[in-house]
Formats: sequence, structure tokens, C-alpha cells
Amino acid sequence: MQAYEDSEPIVRIRDLKKDRVNFVLDNADLAFANAIRRVVQADIPTVAIDMVEIEENTTVLPDEFLAHRLGMIPLVSVNCDEAIRYSRECTCLTGCQYCSVELRLDVSCHDNRTMEVTSNHLEVIPPMNGENDGLPGEEITKRGEDFGHPVGKNDPAVQPVLICKIRKGQQLKLRCVAKKGIAKEHAKWSPCSAVSFEYDPYNKLRHTTHWFESDERAEWPVGENAKEEEPPRDDEPFDFNAKPRKFYFEVETDGSLGPQEVIMRGLAELQTKLANLILGLKAPPDVDMMNGGGGDPGMPPTNGHTTAGGWAGGGWGSMSPTGGGWGNGGSAGGGWAGGTSPAQNGGGNSGGWATSPAQNAASGWGGTSPSQNAWGSNTSPNSGATGSGSTWGTGVQQGWASPSQQASGWNV
Amino acid sequence: MNAPPRFELFVLDDGEKPVEVAEDTKIPNAATFKIVKQDHTLGNMLRAQVLAMPQVLFAGYKVPHPLHPYFLLKIQTDGTATPQAVLEQACTKLITTLSALEAKFKREFSFKDVEGTVAEDPYGATGTGGQAWGAGRDYLDF
Repeated sequence: MQAYEDSEPIVRIRDLKKDRVNFVLDNADLAFANAIRRVVQADIPTVAIDMVEIEENTTVLPDEFLAHRLGMIPLVSVNCDEAIRYSRECTCLTGCQYCSVELRLDVSCHDNRTMEVTSNHLEVIPPMNGENDGLPGEEITKRGEDFGHPVGKNDPAVQPVLICKIRKGQQLKLRCVAKKGIAKEHAKWSPCSAVSFEYDPYNKLRHTTHWFESDERAEWPVGENAKEEEPPRDDEPFDFNAKPRKFYFEVETDGSLGPQEVIMRGLAELQTKLANLILGLKAPPDVDMMNGGGGDPGMPPTNGHTTAGGWAGGGWGSMSPTGGGWGNGGSAGGGWAGGTSPAQNGGGNSGGWATSPAQNAASGWGGTSPSQNAWGSNTSPNSGATGSGSTWGTGVQQGWASPSQQASGWNV
Repeated sequence: MNAPPRFELFVLDDGEKPVEVAEDTKIPNAATFKIVKQDHTLGNMLRAQVLAMPQVLFAGYKVPHPLHPYFLLKIQTDGTATPQAVLEQACTKLITTLSALEAKFKREFSFKDVEGTVAEDPYGATGTGGQAWGAGRDYLDF
């Protein structure tokens, strides 16, 4: 317990390839490591084909079969956070250039041989100006050149994904709309094709039971990761207090995102989840604070977001250039993008997530000016609400605002 | 046909609170947090972190039904801090840990880049997109 409190995880990348990373996470908790595994598998947005309009299908495969196969094709989704919106957050009715990528496929076979329709036949239709209903945005400029293209298209080193085989006289013509999503909605949006996760290769903790015929050691050979750990001695007693601390990961992506982006986005996503929870916890006690503690005199009652006002400006690793909104697209209507004027935010508090003004621009937690930070510690005489302020104060002292520790700054 | 949209599993409805606190009426210093639109990813991590704090007597979480996108986190403290405060501290601590880990990952990735152990394109089989990413906003641009 004690060791857990005052230690930080250590990471060592053993192998980094263009589609996979193998690393060892040491000095971490099982639940923490598992959260990283879960978040990279299920919570990172990518683009995938979500709607297919079939114009002509004389192949042997039925339409829905093809639509399903098309959905599974990995599409290049680099910088997905900024380059595309969720269609549920877009103002358009049926999909526009800001929340979708259009792909077309038109193949017919005129030879006397079986022809393979592959992901290389999918052509991305460049976004057209004019005919869209979405609010204008900068999404398209953030896209890489091959955003939305099938992974490995026209790369001879990468085998394309086979969609269907057609014979002479058969034709396949269709239009696909790719949308952004996460793997909790459908596994096709997962950037990871496989994530391996191992701990305790010698089974010292006895988290699993090895069934064996006669000799456990011989029938259960240890894997590569066992080289990282001491083999147990034969006379070693079982340590029932031991906990797993060292985890062996291999994150393999399907090519839609690189392994580095997957890991970094995963960590940022976890922080966003936690930060939203803190905000959720903070918001309701505000009522009690007003009744009991007399409230924060520096907090103007007109501030609609009450305690949340202080979060504005910094934007928690928000990707949006406007600095608003917790990485959720930076919508101006989003709750946390409130005050840009210092008057709106907790008055005289001079503390906050970033203590040095110079650091503000870089730190995800920082406000844009020192006076904007409302979550001050109790150092400010103006912050009357001692009860709820104190926890934040400790948070600050724990070093989020330390200049060396650039919190979760995606928005550099 | 009438299936609810799947994103309701992880997107908060309009005006929906991410967390509801119910104080326990029978156990002192205990509260149950209903954290909506979250799952084991957060639940187990929080549970472990809360449990590691010395003020905490009990912490546990459950997902009452796999089709209902929320979990319950129950915390009992020894009275020196409220369950809310403890949970907040746990979140704060986890964020600190995660950002430290992020920095370490960043360093490790940059070492790997420098060493040149990566094949031509470190950003996946993305061709020019990977380069566009590298040229534009890079994680190492700190």
C-alpha cells in the first residue's frame, strides 16, 4: 500500500515497429494496467465505413455481407480527434464533409479470369465545398493526405483487404460513408487488432491454475516474458501478500493509427474520463457550498457553470485550438468552455492549476491568465469555501501545476 | 428498428450528471457513487486507487447489469475525510500518475525514434498521412 502511494509507474519500450509496440509497465497496479489495456482497445476514435449504398451488385455475395466486410476495412484515421467530428455532434442531417468521409467502389470484370475486388479499389471522394449542412470548421485542414484511405492503399508492401471475388460479367458498384466512432459502439472502430497483456509469467501469484499430467514445469513452458523475472525457487513459500506489479504489453494496431498515437491517446482518454468525474463531483456540492459555507464571494452568481467556470481556457488537453472543452471537440456550447473573461471565473483566486503564467500555454491544466484560474487553493483570502476548496488545493500541491510536469498537454 | 442509438452507452444525455452521490443512511461515512456512462475501465481503476488510501475502510464497485451503462462505487471512510473527498483525491492522484506515465512514454518513444530502430514509418502503415501527422502536431513537440 505504502509503496503504491509514493511510487510512479515505470515504462520501458522493448520493441517499436510501425504497427506495434511492446513495452513493460513496471510498478503499476493491476487495475491501472488493465485500464490502459481496456482504453486502448475500446475508447480511441477512428474512422470506419458505417453506411453503404449499393448501386449495383451482381456478385455472389449479398449486399449486407459486403457492407459488413467493408465496415471491417481499416481506414487511416491519424489525428482523428481534430480531423473529423462525430456525426452525432454535427449539425448536418445526413452526413457532411466535416463528419464523414465518402468512398466509392466501382469494379466490373471483363476478363475470363476471377478478379479480386480489394480495398485498393476503394476511392476516397475528396470533400466538396458547397454542398454540406454542417457548421464550417477546420476539420478538413487537419486531415492528412490519405485520411480515410484504406490502410496500405497502393503500398505494394501491404496486401490489400479482399472484399469479394468476381467473375466475368459481374459488377460491384457502391458508395460508402465512413464515420468516426469508438469500439464500444462497434469493434470495427478499434484501432487495435490485438493487445496482449501478461503478468507473473511463472504464476507465482497463483492467479491461474495449471492443469498438468505429471510435471507442471515441463507441460507449461514459460514464455519470453519470463526472462524478465526471477524463476521461483523450489522451496519458495507462497507469498499470499504479493501483488502483480510488472505487466508485459504488446499493442498491435490495425494500421489506422500508429502505436504511439494509440498509447498516447489512450492515456489522454483515461485522464479525460477522470477529469470529467472530478467535474461531476464538483458540480453538485456547489449548492451545499452556497448554503453552508456561504459560498465563494468571488464567484459571481451569474456564472452559469458555477464552479466549472475556472476550467475554461486551459482545456485539459483539449485538442481544439479555441482552448475550450475538455477534448470533446471544443464546441462552444459545451459546458466547460465558459468564461474567457477573468471576471467570470472565480474572482480573486490567484491559485489554480498553473501557478506560473509562463507555463500556461503549455500546460493542459493551465488557464490563459493567472487570474482566470478558479480552482485556487485556499491561499486566496477570497475563497471562502474552505470545505470544498481544500481538496483541490492538495491536488495542486501534488504537482499538477509544477512547471516540469506538463500535465496532459496535447495542445502545445 | 427501435433500438436506441448505441452511443447512448458512452455519451451522456443532455443535462445528465456524470455522477450521482447517495449517502448511506445506515453506515457512517459511507456513500455510493453512481457513475454513469462508464464501465470497468474506470470502475476498477478507481476502486483500486481508493482502496490504497489509508482513510478508506471499504471500497468496492459493481456493474449491476452489463446492458446498463453505469457502475456503482461504494466507499466507506474512517471519518477523517468524506467519501466524496476521498474519491476526488483518488481521481487527482490517478491523473497525476497518468500524466507522469504519459511523459515517460513520450520519452521512451522519442528514444526509439532517435535510435532508428523503427522502420521507415513510425506512425503505422499510413504513408503520407503519417508524415503529415509528424510534420504537423507531434506528441514529441513538447
